[in-house]
Amino acid sequence: MTSRSLLFSGIAITAIIAAGGAFILMHQPTLDAPVGDAIAVLDANGKRIGDYRVPADSTIATEPNAEAILLGKRLLNETARLLPANVGNGLNCNSCHMGQGKLSDANPYINTTNTYPSFNPRANREIELSMRINGCLQRSMNGKPLAADSTEMHAMLSYMNWLRQDVVKGTKVAVRNAGPIDESLVPDPQRGRTIYAAQCAACHGANGQGMKDQAGDYIFPPLWGDDSFNIGAGLARTYKAAQFVKYAMPPAMHLNAPLGAGGVLSDQDALDVAEFFTHMPRPDFAGKVNDWKGLKKPKDARY
Amino acid sequence: MRVFGKLALLAICGAAASYAVALSTPYWFKPKAEAHVDVTDPSLIQQGEYLAHAGDCVACHTAPGGKPFAGGLGMQTPMGTIYSTNITPDRTTGIGLYTYGDFERAVRKGIRPDGTHLYPAMPYVSYAVVRDDDVKALYAYFMSSVEKARQVNQPTTMPWPLSMRWPLAWWQLMFAQPRDFTTTATDPQFERGAYLVEGLAHCGACHTPRGIAFQETALADGPNSRFLSGSVLEGWYAKNLRDEGTGLSTWTTAEIVDFLKTGRNDKTAAFGSMSDVVEHSTQHLLTEDLSAIASYLKSLKPRDGRSPTSQPKEDLTTAALKAGDFSAPGATSYVEHCAVCHRMDGKGAPRIYPALAGNSMVFADDPSSLIQVTLAGGRMPKTTHDAMVFTMPGFSHLPNREIAEVLNFIRNGWGNHGSQITEADISRMRHEIARKPKHYVPGDKK
Repeated sequence: MTSRSLLFSGIAITAIIAAGGAFILMHQPTLDAPVGDAIAVLDANGKRIGDYRVPADSTIATEPNAEAILLGKRLLNETARLLPANVGNGLNCNSCHMGQGKLSDANPYINTTNTYPSFNPRANREIELSMRINGCLQRSMNGKPLAADSTEMHAMLSYMNWLRQDVVKGTKVAVRNAGPIDESLVPDPQRGRTIYAAQCAACHGANGQGMKDQAGDYIFPPLWGDDSFNIGAGLARTYKAAQFVKYAMPPAMHLNAPLGAGGVLSDQDALDVAEFFTHMPRPDFAGKVNDWKGLKKPKDARY
Repeated sequence: MRVFGKLALLAICGAAASYAVALSTPYWFKPKAEAHVDVTDPSLIQQGEYLAHAGDCVACHTAPGGKPFAGGLGMQTPMGTIYSTNITPDRTTGIGLYTYGDFERAVRKGIRPDGTHLYPAMPYVSYAVVRDDDVKALYAYFMSSVEKARQVNQPTTMPWPLSMRWPLAWWQLMFAQPRDFTTTATDPQFERGAYLVEGLAHCGACHTPRGIAFQETALADGPNSRFLSGSVLEGWYAKNLRDEGTGLSTWTTAEIVDFLKTGRNDKTAAFGSMSDVVEHSTQHLLTEDLSAIASYLKSLKPRDGRSPTSQPKEDLTTAALKAGDFSAPGATSYVEHCAVCHRMDGKGAPRIYPALAGNSMVFADDPSSLIQVTLAGGRMPKTTHDAMVFTMPGFSHLPNREIAEVLNFIRNGWGNHGSQITEADISRMRHEIARKPKHYVPGDKK
């Protein structure tokens, strides 16, 4: 072998090794989202009988009643803007049912259609889901009910029914409406006022007035005053409000999707701030005379 | 075999000569310059502290959760991780034994007292223009005011032969000439802005495109207009800061000052590496210095062939979304995952949720930052100005296809226009994020 051919073969071998190395270094397998954990579906005895995955909205399009589901989604997201005759304040359904009712601890709609009709202690009778929704409209949204057979009511029910997917009545997806809070704690509204200023006022305003966008729609709902929920709302009750505040507020606090919410306030903090803002001036609720009739009221009932 | 032998001999001689030159540069190329500094002078120390903020020394020389200036922060390079060093005045593990000449040469010339060449992760190419008086003040501050910390410096994880530092001498010969600050400007505010931006603030370290040898392709504004025209580092696109359409043309001087002072303004917020810059550096600067920086940046002319202004399209997005028209690809996902904060009108909430409409980060030439913040999330800097610090959660649980679609929707919605993002771009960024040293992940407050 001549020195020249030795040199050439050396160069050729080096080139092949370099190309191979470059390929190995540069080649990356496709990295995509991991398959998320499924949520358990439980039977009446709490035994896991299946899996549930929160459906993506992109799958609505393939449903036969896609139009109704999509309208329902919009009405729940933008209730104040789309139903001005029924909403008397600045709130939307999803102000409280955050993340389009898909999130544990933020009042999800996932089990809702499978839960109704059911006995409602406040009304002291069995009620339909449409009646429950109208309860929200009259209390949390300080407005007027929708007709049970209206297109809008049907649309909201369609969205909630789509969200349950193939989970059937009598079984339950293992999500919580709200997280636990220590009910033995005693709220301190003065301390709550300070916490409100530090942890809530940036968005909900120093006077609880919320924040509006340029079109006049609320970005952050008002927490008291004429444009807030009335005293008949569940959220007007200290311990219920504290559950929401502890687990769903404030949002955008950490890196965990979808809302980065919660994990900031202790039970006592949440309770104090809840006591403070729920007891600020807010609209009365005329229908309160019919609540808790013949039953023991919860300790945080407002009337 | 004779040719082969000769070539080998030539290579060995060349390497030996190159090595000898490298060892000699500290003596003739970047010699030490001693001077007397009164390190006990309180006003000098105070000035030094301010300048240390301007130079953002603490950000790199402190590991997350570690003692200030004690080093240990890992910086990822293609060859391995470099760790920042202890620059507290501890005499055994820090810089306590440095004379002024040692200090000056390390800061402005990138050479340690023992003649070792520093990696250009230390921005000495920018610090080269810092004036003598300012280096003296920095020296006084570090020697007298910084708390000593005993912490041994971490070696790099680069394997031999990449771990040899002497080739850096050649890098310095080519790209890090000692130089003084020069300007043709006569306006003192403009001059101050240029001095800070080019020097201590070392904006170019991230915002100027780098060349094949990792050198910054411009160290000051010049005819090629590459200075501060945007660059990608660690998967973050440090945006174009020139006064052009995708640069700072949509920002007023007041908005730039507000952003640097508080980490946010009504349209946008800092995240990624810039969040650290605001938190550790710019929030501490005097408003007059920030104004000088902003005025200087606004003077950087557009590059040739680049539109000097952003020309937004008509906003058809807001009306479509509000009317329930989700037919545009990505619109459904946008309403599902993004609209609750960034809103149907793409305007977010001032100082809380950044706007997407008209936000030059969103329609930047390079979408890396947009992709990374979507996948990994991002945190605003904590400043004395705002009570609450907001965080964007990461959406890495969404599939690449959906993320690409929704980002294209955002980049081209509400009048924005930007190049298309592909699923492969999302996959590449997932790799980039997976490769990061742990402490580069912004702190999860949970």
